[in-house]
Amino acid sequence: MKNRKVRSSNETEQNRVKLNRRTFLKLSIFAGAAIGANQMGKPGAHSASPLEKTSRRALEERWTATSCLNCPARCGIRVRVVNGKAVKITGNPNSLVSEGKICPRAHVGLQVLYDPGRILSPSKRGNREKGREIDPKWIPISWDQALSELTQRLKSLRDVAQPHKLLLFSGLNTVSSEDVIARFADAFGTPNIISGNGLDIETEKSGNWMADGHYTGTAYDLDHTNYILAFGADILESSRPLSRFLRKWGRLRREKPNRTKVVVINPRYSLTAAKSDEWVPIQPGTDAALALAMGNVIISENLYDTDFVNRWTTGFDSYKKLVLREYSPVAVSRITGIPSEVIQRIAREFAQTRPGLALRGRESINRPEGSYISYAIFCLNALVGSIDIPGGVIYQENPKYREMPHRVVDDIARRAKDHPRIDLRGTDKFPAAEVVTNQIPESVLEGIPYPVEMAIGFNSNFNMFAPGTERWDKALKKLPFYVHISPFISEMALYADLVLPSTTYLEEWGYDHSPPGSGFAEARIKQPVVKPLGNSKSVTDIVFEISKRLGGGPAQSFANVGDQSEGFVKFRTETLMPWKEFLEKGAWVGKEYEYKQYGRIFHTPSKKFEFYSGNLKSLNSKMRKGAEKDIDCLPNYKEPKFLGEKEKYPLILLPYQPLLVVENGSQNYPWAQEIFLPMDGVGWETLVEINSETAKILNLRDGQAVWVESPSQKIKAKVKFSEGVHPEVVVIPSGQGHYSYGKWQKGIGVNPNEIIGVDYDTISGQAAFFNTRVKVYRA
Amino acid sequence: MPRWGMVIDLDKCTGCQACSTACKSENNVPYGSPDDQRRRRDIYWNKVIAATSGTYPRVNTEIISMPCMHCDHAPCVTVCPAKATYRREDGIIVQDFRRCIGCKYCIVACPYGARSFNSREQKEEQYLRPDLPPDRNVWGQWPFPTRTHGVVEKCTFCFHRIDRGMKEGKKIGKEVVPACVEDCPAEARKFGDLDDNNSEVSRLLSSRAWIRLREELDTKCKVFYLLK
Repeated sequence: MKNRKVRSSNETEQNRVKLNRRTFLKLSIFAGAAIGANQMGKPGAHSASPLEKTSRRALEERWTATSCLNCPARCGIRVRVVNGKAVKITGNPNSLVSEGKICPRAHVGLQVLYDPGRILSPSKRGNREKGREIDPKWIPISWDQALSELTQRLKSLRDVAQPHKLLLFSGLNTVSSEDVIARFADAFGTPNIISGNGLDIETEKSGNWMADGHYTGTAYDLDHTNYILAFGADILESSRPLSRFLRKWGRLRREKPNRTKVVVINPRYSLTAAKSDEWVPIQPGTDAALALAMGNVIISENLYDTDFVNRWTTGFDSYKKLVLREYSPVAVSRITGIPSEVIQRIAREFAQTRPGLALRGRESINRPEGSYISYAIFCLNALVGSIDIPGGVIYQENPKYREMPHRVVDDIARRAKDHPRIDLRGTDKFPAAEVVTNQIPESVLEGIPYPVEMAIGFNSNFNMFAPGTERWDKALKKLPFYVHISPFISEMALYADLVLPSTTYLEEWGYDHSPPGSGFAEARIKQPVVKPLGNSKSVTDIVFEISKRLGGGPAQSFANVGDQSEGFVKFRTETLMPWKEFLEKGAWVGKEYEYKQYGRIFHTPSKKFEFYSGNLKSLNSKMRKGAEKDIDCLPNYKEPKFLGEKEKYPLILLPYQPLLVVENGSQNYPWAQEIFLPMDGVGWETLVEINSETAKILNLRDGQAVWVESPSQKIKAKVKFSEGVHPEVVVIPSGQGHYSYGKWQKGIGVNPNEIIGVDYDTISGQAAFFNTRVKVYRA
Repeated sequence: MPRWGMVIDLDKCTGCQACSTACKSENNVPYGSPDDQRRRRDIYWNKVIAATSGTYPRVNTEIISMPCMHCDHAPCVTVCPAKATYRREDGIIVQDFRRCIGCKYCIVACPYGARSFNSREQKEEQYLRPDLPPDRNVWGQWPFPTRTHGVVEKCTFCFHRIDRGMKEGKKIGKEVVPACVEDCPAEARKFGDLDDNNSEVSRLLSSRAWIRLREELDTKCKVFYLLK
């Protein structure tokens, strides 16, 4: 080992091996040859003979700082590359959002990169028929041919002045690719970029917007908080940025003088609940009532932060009147199934153990009434003054990348700009929405507000991850021409007329930042750690190339922002940090967070925190004719709406996202698959969890196959009796049920989205996930 | 001579399983398949298990991350007929693949289920790691670029890291730790010398309530769990 030029992997100083130029050249030739022979993780030539004097052979080893993209948190990572092969991923200590820590999915990145199912050449559909079980009969073609066909079709849309009939799907992409796609859409002339956000947590954003005017996710100062109430928030599973929550969990519990108490309110005994101090099972959909009852206790016992409430909030009197009148602990106990003593106790604890935080997550707010639930829970933070203080809610700052020169919007694009958007955002149906992902199938199928001529998907896989997957399949089938860009044939790619192989995040240039979490700003680089496999190209480069070929406004818009992805990233980030230093460190961190900026943080009409939402009121008066009801602008509890009759479908479906769901649209990663369900100690499958008492009533046997049937569809999986499930609930993890490609995912488990009925939170356009009644019977 | 041990704080642990995936990539541990899992033939050097008790709504699940416990009185060492598994002077229990005859006696003897039998074909390509030296069969170095068919394998406390760190004069437990410790996002795992009163592991053990698994068997294992 002495002779080897390998350095220990947990070395904290600089990442690069010092090699003199000469050895470096020699080695890189060697490494190049190895890559050639080695492309899909096949054995390299140099490992052929064990008797070769391997230990004396110098290895070319590099550590490269870049960032992850297995979920939108995009954590800083360092990747160890030996002889051209990426072999180990670990955290980047320069990234402070997660203090240099990463979640288990980051390690899986190696299998994302070397996934044997990756596509490495552009391909054209050979079979004109489209469908779930139908073989597309891909015909490999050259990049040139693929791009000219694509640009020709794009051009013809512009030629007839209908660029708005282009629909763009944006799945999980780097922030830089998102910026490029948005710029392309504007220059091309389509208002229709559909991100996956409408399947995520738009209700968290709208709840914030109603209260403090920020239509963004919420950031929490986890370093200093002393009490956490998690309403359906899976902070150790799917909240974001996850690795920050995981890291701070250590801090909350044992790295500060007083241990933070965590109470989890959820119909499901989640991993977070298992690690918390108290689990409070709740009747699904009634979290708003609980939050308002806690408001009732806090106000009637005078435990609220009078100073903050008086100085920096409005509408408190109406809120007070409402909660005192309608939400007594006894009344709410009947709604939520939680004993009134428990409601009183956790309300008191929360108000008295400051700073405390009330968090909400998918399981409480991804519902038809989600915005109001989200608003009601968020208001608890204001009641106890946990707004913009250490240990409270904080307001995320984002890195200021260099402004791009004004995009060139030519006549064609300008004329198309005023067309309504195809997802109906901003209409009476979804007045405050930023994106309504799950509206697309209906819009496409019915041709409203106008028919779609062509669509391009960038790493999207919405027909797996949106409720009511069947509609998506139908809509994709109906699209006259669909181009899919991703590293693998995802379920959405099955419906494509043309697929373009994009690189994975370990082979491309980009810049990224996390969703709200840290407060302070941080930007991270993405740089190729290995050469792109096969003929794959990064999304950014593909868009640059298409724009160039299109000419006109699109070409001009991309003329002065760097020539291709590397240049673009350099152009945008050079103002933050010298390029070389950015490459070396991998992360740029902004100035420390400043608390108590009450003068400027509230973006509401009153410039204060609003218990009575002015934003909602102005929206109300704008969108609806006639008198709006007073109650609609206050957080309130509405009886939860479910699809399906209770008599026929007695149980409520509760899908959840386990930690090891890789969010790039594939799950073909054995490291993630084999430990998929840690609470059950198994992987490689979907378990339908049901309360053991309920299961006995239904005459089921533990472990047998059952049908879970909703009014729209049914799926078959193995049932597991559980003590950690509300008696009226059926729990199914999402993430499995892929049917497109990959021996480690195809045919494994089932996808609960197939049976979820379609509904929305009408304010934010968030797709409801916890809105469907089901029945369970033996298969 | 140090006596290496690990302390896992169950209060800080989030059950995320980063220890398991970090170990898999660090040590090139084979991944399994649905069939492997059904037949309990999948290989883990660090396995996270869940133990549930109680009835609704008073249920409790403990999530416990389990590397090899590296017992000072290791049953696996006692039973091995080939002397393939032995205790190093620094307390790490290692497995010599060259000596292992694959009888699985140690798997039966291990009270923690920390050992796995590798029934894979050695030439399965996805396990090849050109950066790593060949296994002990040829050169005597860890970890391995290929897998060795027909032997028992298990956690090594990442002794390749420790040995190299010792040679380079690094502080083991601070600058150099096993992969699972390094990549634990909650920093729930600590590694160090149990005989050194000033090491972090010793300090934690003297300040918090702890348990070892299956204490009644008197294995004197060196993985400790701190309680809530």
